[in-house]
Amino acid sequence: MPYLGSEDTVRELRRHLSNPNVQSDPLRYRSSILKVIRAMSQGVDVAGLFSEMVKACATVDIVQKKLVYVFLCSYATLNPELSLLVINTLRKDCQDPNPMVRSLALRNMVNLRLPSLAEYVEQPLSAGLRDRAACVRRVAVLGWAKLHNLQPASEIDAAVVNELYGLLRDPDPVVMVNCLRALEEILKEEGGMAINKPITHHLLNRLGQLDVWGQCEVLRVLQRYRPQSESELFDILSLLDASLVSPHPPVMAATLSLFLVLCPDLPAVSFAALERVRGPLLAACGSASRETRFTALCHIQLLLRSLPGLMGAHYKRFFCGYAEPAYIKQRKMQVLVELVNDDNVAMLLDELRGYCTDVNADTAQAAISAIGRIGRSYSDQCLQILTGLLGLQQEHITSAVVQTMRDLVWVCPQCSDTVCSALEGCEETLQDSQGRQALLWLLAVHGERVRSAPYTLEGFIDGVRGEASPGVKMELLTTTMRLFVCRPAETQDMLGRLLHHCIEEETDMCVRDQALLYYRLLRCGMEETRRVLGGRRSEPSLGVLIGRPAEPISQWASSFNTLEPLKQGAGETETTGRASPQHVTFDLDSDLSDTLNSGAGGFSFSPAGVQAPPLTLSLSPALSPEEFERLWTQRRAPPAEEGAEELDYVCLEERIRCPAVPHCSPQSLQAAMQLVNIQTLAFTAAHASPWRVYLYTHAQQAARSALILGQLLYAGEDEDEDEAGLSEGPSPRGREEEVKVTLKQRPRDEKALQGFLSILTAVLHTLPFNTH
Amino acid sequence: MSSSAIFVLDLEGEVLICRNYKGDVDMAEIDRFLPLLMQHEEEGLLCPVLSHGKVHFMWIKHSNLYLVSTTNKNSNASLVYSFLYKIVEVFTEYFKELEEESIQDNFVVVYELLDELMDFGFPQTTDSKILQEYITQEGAKLEVGKSKVPTTVTNAVSWRSEGIKYKKNEVFIDVIESINVLVNANGSVMSSDIVGSIKLKTMLSGMPELRLGLNDRVLFGLTGRDKGKTVVMEDVKFHQCVRLSRFDSDRTISFIPPDGESELMSYRINTHVKPLIWIESVIEKFSHSRVEIMVKAKGQFKKQSVANNVEVRVPVPSDADSPKFKTSTGQAKYVPEKNMVVWTIKSFPGGKEFLMRAHFGLPSVENNELEGKPPVTVKFEIPYFTVSGIQVRYMKIIEKSGYQALPWVRYITQSGDYQLRTNV
Repeated sequence: MPYLGSEDTVRELRRHLSNPNVQSDPLRYRSSILKVIRAMSQGVDVAGLFSEMVKACATVDIVQKKLVYVFLCSYATLNPELSLLVINTLRKDCQDPNPMVRSLALRNMVNLRLPSLAEYVEQPLSAGLRDRAACVRRVAVLGWAKLHNLQPASEIDAAVVNELYGLLRDPDPVVMVNCLRALEEILKEEGGMAINKPITHHLLNRLGQLDVWGQCEVLRVLQRYRPQSESELFDILSLLDASLVSPHPPVMAATLSLFLVLCPDLPAVSFAALERVRGPLLAACGSASRETRFTALCHIQLLLRSLPGLMGAHYKRFFCGYAEPAYIKQRKMQVLVELVNDDNVAMLLDELRGYCTDVNADTAQAAISAIGRIGRSYSDQCLQILTGLLGLQQEHITSAVVQTMRDLVWVCPQCSDTVCSALEGCEETLQDSQGRQALLWLLAVHGERVRSAPYTLEGFIDGVRGEASPGVKMELLTTTMRLFVCRPAETQDMLGRLLHHCIEEETDMCVRDQALLYYRLLRCGMEETRRVLGGRRSEPSLGVLIGRPAEPISQWASSFNTLEPLKQGAGETETTGRASPQHVTFDLDSDLSDTLNSGAGGFSFSPAGVQAPPLTLSLSPALSPEEFERLWTQRRAPPAEEGAEELDYVCLEERIRCPAVPHCSPQSLQAAMQLVNIQTLAFTAAHASPWRVYLYTHAQQAARSALILGQLLYAGEDEDEDEAGLSEGPSPRGREEEVKVTLKQRPRDEKALQGFLSILTAVLHTLPFNTH
Repeated sequence: MSSSAIFVLDLEGEVLICRNYKGDVDMAEIDRFLPLLMQHEEEGLLCPVLSHGKVHFMWIKHSNLYLVSTTNKNSNASLVYSFLYKIVEVFTEYFKELEEESIQDNFVVVYELLDELMDFGFPQTTDSKILQEYITQEGAKLEVGKSKVPTTVTNAVSWRSEGIKYKKNEVFIDVIESINVLVNANGSVMSSDIVGSIKLKTMLSGMPELRLGLNDRVLFGLTGRDKGKTVVMEDVKFHQCVRLSRFDSDRTISFIPPDGESELMSYRINTHVKPLIWIESVIEKFSHSRVEIMVKAKGQFKKQSVANNVEVRVPVPSDADSPKFKTSTGQAKYVPEKNMVVWTIKSFPGGKEFLMRAHFGLPSVENNELEGKPPVTVKFEIPYFTVSGIQVRYMKIIEKSGYQALPWVRYITQSGDYQLRTNV
């Protein structure tokens, strides 16, 4: 066919279709119709041929019929009047002896999507439900759902709904599943179809006959069923056990989802189910289809949130292949970070180092930040790798390394020496604004220890005119100010130049405002400047929390096996990666304790034993970590001095039996404490020994307020002998489960302290016990 | 699962063919798909789900096509991907190769198939064996009044029609295992597994009842026999014809086979496999002047076996030039567009060791771009041998008419994802 414009094409096609010679020759007629469909697929607007095509559907040739129907369904909404003409042919076809023709006609009758035709469609649909051929029943059942979808307002006849319920017992499995789908759609307003005991048992019994799609559908619908007794529940669960380890990932996922929904109150069963699916999930991770692999990885991430130890032994299965797409590699790395432990850390880091030089810059950056995350627990090995990477002098690698170091130093201040010495000279390779901002931040905080810091800054200040990113300029201002505070002689001149430029020439208001602020601050005198700028630092003495909490399964069970987990992770990379929130606290006016205390407010708690007046715990005024440390060390009194004759101060030591505490993640502890207004300030790493937590609160009772500082100490199994002697009494087994609580209070108020202790004990006993 | 519409796009994002199943998502939304894909790719956030407003695109790529499913529901992702792959599988069985041309040449059949595969966003008939009975490419020829309903659409045995006749009754059984190996640069095996499948080519009359016996360890444990080598299989997947209840109770694989070719079962064995072809490579890069590559390949399998069509693919820097090769056997060829040397050995007996040396020049101006460290990959095929040691013990064929049928068994081991990392 010669090239024709769309109008010419339509005209040409119309001429062909209406030519009586063509119409009388079935082969030529069909090839003309083919041309129409081809034109339609190529995006030519052939709507104008509607009336010709309507005529063409009266034929005995099934293929031609199908093609004409494809055409009609695409354009029916544009020609509602003409479509009325088709209905007659379609209704006639519904009487055809050939079931294929019947099902075809029935399907397309509804697919025209014309509400005006509804009245003509209902009768054939009703007849279709009782057709002898299963393929017609399949279509008819879904037809009702389509009809309802077309006119959501109009009610579907109750008799039809009943008939659909009846068809759940149809011998054809697809008819049965289609019934489920149709009923769900029709009864959407009422929350879906009724799921009672007979229906549930019927569906479960037929599960084996269904294909993958059908099984998933049934499993999903069953989520709404609530078993009437525990024994029924367990019968259902054991029936589903085989599907739980199904080799088809969708079936496995749907079954697990059902398990989690059915037994929210039986965590042991849920956890056992998670263990069961480990094998199939790992298999899905090695699937040939990368989308399936990706989906499996995303779901493994969900599972790990509740059961961090689930995949520990299989970490090698998450090593990346060379040709895998970046999104899979990044997910795998996120999983690997979760799986790190003492035994595999060397192997894992070795592997991750390999990914750092990946050709894909994003993968490389993800690998570097993954190393940074592991660095929170294994800082030496990780820093060695990170500094090694700086030697490659690759722009994007250096940038990612510097950003990772920034995040790492905040969490692990003991790394700062290594980082400081590594920073020298890397400003030459840094090009992007994020990397340079990170470098400036590091110089601001640890500037006094980086020998070349003023020279680096000078380079930045000389180039400030050409600097495009306001973020870098603002960071530069802060850094120069802070360096000026500790190294005034070297920095004074360049600070002057920088402030001058930013105030006089800068066009960005934020930068200019900040410069003005600093300028005015400097005029208030050096002492004031130092006070304002000497912001918070992370506390090496206190250690910092590591690891994520093990969440209860219910946190994610509802999003399991949907699109959500696939979408979630994308955001997660961001938070785990560059945009760690901590460095925000270094801004001028914000205070660490503010961010920690976002939930400050009054909370009243009166434990059973304590009589009125009630004891109230409150978080305000906030206490900063430094202040805490100062107060704590100031009051470090030997335990023997308990009840010493100091008027304003009391120190108390207690042992609380609480097996959960040392196994509990910092976040869940923190959350539990915050619920009763106790602020946790710092943690040692989980499973480190001895394990400590520092906390504080203000206890208010009858208008008297007292600050309570506390330390929880869990020395683990290797507690000293003499320590054990002190606690005289409890068996060694019991001792393992005890947490030593040291409390310091000012001013002294024994009653409040006892009250606080009972609250604390109560909280500790509510902690979830994580199994590993 | 519910997918609102299915699209087949070419690489430029042009719609080749589409089917609107539910009508609840604007069909014009698909125009956003490719720009969205490009944008995410640039940002390095590419992912198999893309969203624009409330519409989610779930897509896969197959040769030069994108298959996209749109939905505005929070639907079950893994099911949608399975369905898209099912479409690929069905189309491939119809057109041998699924690509832009085959879609364009067969759009009638494609429309017909899309119509049968899904209705109102729900998968319907997805078994290609069944589909092939009533949607045929011969449809292009005109047959008025044809198309009797295939019994399979309603039949109890949906994968086999009645009344099949062969002069000579035979079954061919292929046991194929592919090995996936990942070896570290320092020579330690990081991960390895075997993916096996048993394929049938059935040429049997009537409705035969087949029983397959394997040296499956679980079975031998069950019956108390424990002779010779047995195999533990994981993730066993069967064709729908296999009676799973019987397999679960007594590990018998009994079934009525589909006619013609089909995959009866697949399995995975997660075990430490000794890499069958071991590669030691030394790649020395002298900046600005040359690269020297020395590769030693060793066949770590039985002397009686022979690996055929062995291909060792060794990566070279992208700016390498003037290749020179020396091999103790086989032929080496430089493939510049893939940046690799392909060393081909037609037949590689077990226990033997071969060497290849290659020499490349490097330009004096160094390529500053960072190159990844592509691994050495190996392709091979070893007939009459399975790594796992799986064996077909027997195949019993019973048919009402009582004919004698011959089963033929063939074993083959081949390379899957076979990677050995290099030290450069």
